Amino acid sequence: MKLELRNIEKSFGAKQVLQGISLTAEGGQAFGLLGRNGAGKTTTIRILMDVFPQNSGEVLLDGKPIDYRKVSLGYLPEERGLYPKKPIGQQLVYFAQLKGMKRAKALASVRHWLERLGMEEYETKRLDTLSKGNQQKIQLITALAHDPDIIVLDEPFSGLDPVNAALLKDVVKEQIQKGKIVLFSSHQMNYIEEFCQEIAILNQGKIAISGNLEQIKRSYPRDRLTVFSPQYREILSQLGNRCQLVQPGEVLLRLDSPRQKQEMMGQLVARYDIDRVQVYEPSLNDIFVEYAGDHV
Amino acid sequence: MRQFRTILSFELKNYFKNKVFVGSTLFIVAVLAVVMFLPNLIDVFGSMGGDSSDEPTEQSVILVSAPSQEMGETIAQALASAFPDQTVTWTQDDLAKIKEQVSNQEADCALVFDSLTSYTYYVYNRSLYDQTTQVANQVLVSLAQVEAMTQQGLSPDQAGEILSLQIDAKEELLGVDQAQNYWYTYIMTLALYMVIMLYGQMVASHVATEKSSRAMELLITSATPVNMMFGKVLASCIAGFVQLAVIFGSALLFYQLNLDAWGGNSVMTSLFDMPLSLLVYLLVFFVLGFLLYAFLYGAIGSTATKLEDINTSIMPLSMLFVIAFCVVMFSMGSGAVDNIAMMVCSFVPFTSPIAMFARIAMSTVPVYQIVLSIGILAVSVVGIGVLSAKIYRVGVLLYGTPPKIGAILKAVWQA
Repeated sequence: MKLELRNIEKSFGAKQVLQGISLTAEGGQAFGLLGRNGAGKTTTIRILMDVFPQNSGEVLLDGKPIDYRKVSLGYLPEERGLYPKKPIGQQLVYFAQLKGMKRAKALASVRHWLERLGMEEYETKRLDTLSKGNQQKIQLITALAHDPDIIVLDEPFSGLDPVNAALLKDVVKEQIQKGKIVLFSSHQMNYIEEFCQEIAILNQGKIAISGNLEQIKRSYPRDRLTVFSPQYREILSQLGNRCQLVQPGEVLLRLDSPRQKQEMMGQLVARYDIDRVQVYEPSLNDIFVEYAGDHV
Repeated sequence: MRQFRTILSFELKNYFKNKVFVGSTLFIVAVLAVVMFLPNLIDVFGSMGGDSSDEPTEQSVILVSAPSQEMGETIAQALASAFPDQTVTWTQDDLAKIKEQVSNQEADCALVFDSLTSYTYYVYNRSLYDQTTQVANQVLVSLAQVEAMTQQGLSPDQAGEILSLQIDAKEELLGVDQAQNYWYTYIMTLALYMVIMLYGQMVASHVATEKSSRAMELLITSATPVNMMFGKVLASCIAGFVQLAVIFGSALLFYQLNLDAWGGNSVMTSLFDMPLSLLVYLLVFFVLGFLLYAFLYGAIGSTATKLEDINTSIMPLSMLFVIAFCVVMFSMGSGAVDNIAMMVCSFVPFTSPIAMFARIAMSTVPVYQIVLSIGILAVSVVGIGVLSAKIYRVGVLLYGTPPKIGAILKAVWQA
């Protein structure tokens, strides 16, 4: 399965919110959709979910315009919310039925997921009697119970304790392994780095950068070295203005060109007590700041 | 279609599991039961307390004073038959004494005569419904007429015969009898008004609650706006209809059970004697009027971010309906249900459900007008239903201060 957004444009009144968004997400992979608040992530997701139509551009599944009657989507919205005064089992079954499931199947699936997330005791409880983290897990079930082909998770990890976060990670990995298209939107870069091979960073309604995360990282000029050494003070004083202290024991060393890499590594190892030296690769956080920051 | 059915049954369950909904319906039925069984209950309690009609009751006194005894006794005798519940007494006391007796409320009132055709009425507190002078005047006119005729040489019997001449009038009804239809039209119009108003507001607040709890984010990505809107509105329509049916059904049942006790009551018989055709019209106007307003209330609810905003947002719509209701009520009260205001109101979709219904019930309306009114209303319901689903789709995603109507319509146009 391959989901493609091609040249999506959308404006609300005079304000153009999306200016030619294109991205491709494959089944069996997680796709990270990044961007600052107001960059157009939610609008992109809503167009994908068919909440409103785009002004121009196409949403394609396996090369053909997506048919919402045939493909099912699961969505965990960033703004969480269900019926606070209703029994949990009842509303989960309702949402699964809205997505086209028969009642008996919906009930079985809801029970399965409640059990999977350790929530089976809450089936008849009202939603507002649960803690925030548990409500979050219930909300996750609405995105997964109807066994969707495409899963959109907007900030899935916010508000979860480490144990629940680990549980959610397992669930997401399971879904990816089943070959589903998982779309992630989050500001927690470590989770994106952990799950997503492909990313797109949105900035003011445009794709600032997109593609394979590994390749993006490697596309940066490999002209910097990260040096870990107990003698970092000596390195700093002797190599002078090429060096920059990252933190005690870690120094960033700029080269004139990537070709100097081998030679410089040899020199460092010969002259100082070196624990580790490696070519500097930007973290997703650095890439994000670079492509979505104010200066762009 | 399955999605629509899912929404409809979910929303219906919400109503029928709602304690307030069930409680208020049962409460009204209980009140009706008490009212309808009242005559029987009074009988039961009355017989328990023993029959009180044998006990002498203190009757109020009307004093009559006249220049001569003969005149005073004639007047007192004539008035006594006109006021069977009161004791009419001729008195020779002077005016000051008479006034004192009225002030002390020893006497109810006093009539002090100068001549047969001129008197002063003394009363302490004049009640709103005091008709003593009107009744006395009639009696006195007859007295004077008889006296005038006897002076002309007729015997008192002949004079009495002339005065008590009876007219034989027959009445045949070809249209509707407003006096008879008034009560059920009044009650049905009021019921239509209340149900549309209450349920409309309920739809608006349900939509706004879903929005403020952010369940909307999920709903809007799970179901189409048309299904959401129609499912919700039809569910409330069915719930409203069931509530009305339970209330009126139980009222009818209680009436049948107490038929003997109520038998002679003209209001009750006219109320439960409604023709079947009118009931069908009631149903048609109920359904169409309900849908029209519920769609609009739902659309307005979708534009509110918080539940508190609802009251101000729905005000214009509610005012419209209140005005329609007032026009109908005034026209019904005046008896002129076919006046120009009513004619206009009975074709405007927002007012026609109650205006046309009142006209059909209380007047004879040409068939083409009824068909036209229902036709306009039905087309409007479909149009407004689709429009409100579009407003809903745009409205539910807008947060912040409630947008202006123009801005919403513009967004609907662009979407």
